[in-house]
Amino acid sequence: MLFDTTQNALEAAISGAATRQQALAANLANANTPGYQRVDVDFHSSLAAALGSEDSKDALHSVKFAAQVDSSGATRADGSSVDVDSESAKLAANALEHQAAVQVAHARIGILKSAMGVGG
Amino acid sequence: MFDALNVSATGLTAERLRMDVTAENLANAQTTRGADGQPYRRKEVVLREISQGGGFGAQLANALGTGAKSRPGGVEVAEIASDQTAGKMVYDPSHPDANAQGYVQMPNVDTVTEMVDLIDAQRAYEANVTAMSASKQMFAKTLEILR
Repeated sequence: MLFDTTQNALEAAISGAATRQQALAANLANANTPGYQRVDVDFHSSLAAALGSEDSKDALHSVKFAAQVDSSGATRADGSSVDVDSESAKLAANALEHQAAVQVAHARIGILKSAMGVGG
Repeated sequence: MFDALNVSATGLTAERLRMDVTAENLANAQTTRGADGQPYRRKEVVLREISQGGGFGAQLANALGTGAKSRPGGVEVAEIASDQTAGKMVYDPSHPDANAQGYVQMPNVDTVTEMVDLIDAQRAYEANVTAMSASKQMFAKTLEILR
């Protein structure tokens, strides 16, 4: 196979970060919705579990990311648990994480291209 | 893939409507004759979470059974409610709408509250714009893998 476990893991990480981006965007969109409970995607745990399993390559292919309600944070007076500052910080961190995975994936494809003689 | 952009777009729509309604309240802060002939009543936007993504992609994913169960869908306006609290009575005997005692029933609009709502809606709008541009950059970066 051309692509190894690392490449598959990077692809799964990119997809996980994109799913998390949607959840964080939904939290910011609902910043003024009374009673709204913030959601988040813990794609790190899903990835770690897939990488730790017996057949990690198959596990990485079938890994699914789902948004879960996060009730760990403080609830505001209007019943919402969204903190705009912390959502913005998480959003920025998630975008950087996504960018890091993309750059590594891109570099690895470049290496393969060099090996095939098409240049990176 | 572009669901995050749609989610932020619902936030932009909702916050813009909040700003419009707040502007209407401010404009009618002295209106003693509303549409029904009564003093103007301040309006308030009630927001509600969209539990399922309504876009084509989400519908297709649901139909195919491939969609994640709890797909964040953004925000929508549930209703524009009118505030039923009583307005102030102002003593102004020369006013055409003054009652027998010389008092005028004013709208229940408090300009300070409206200004705070306006700033709140503006900041929330900016937060959604930031989220949208972050998502846009992420998608652009993903496309760079192809280069």
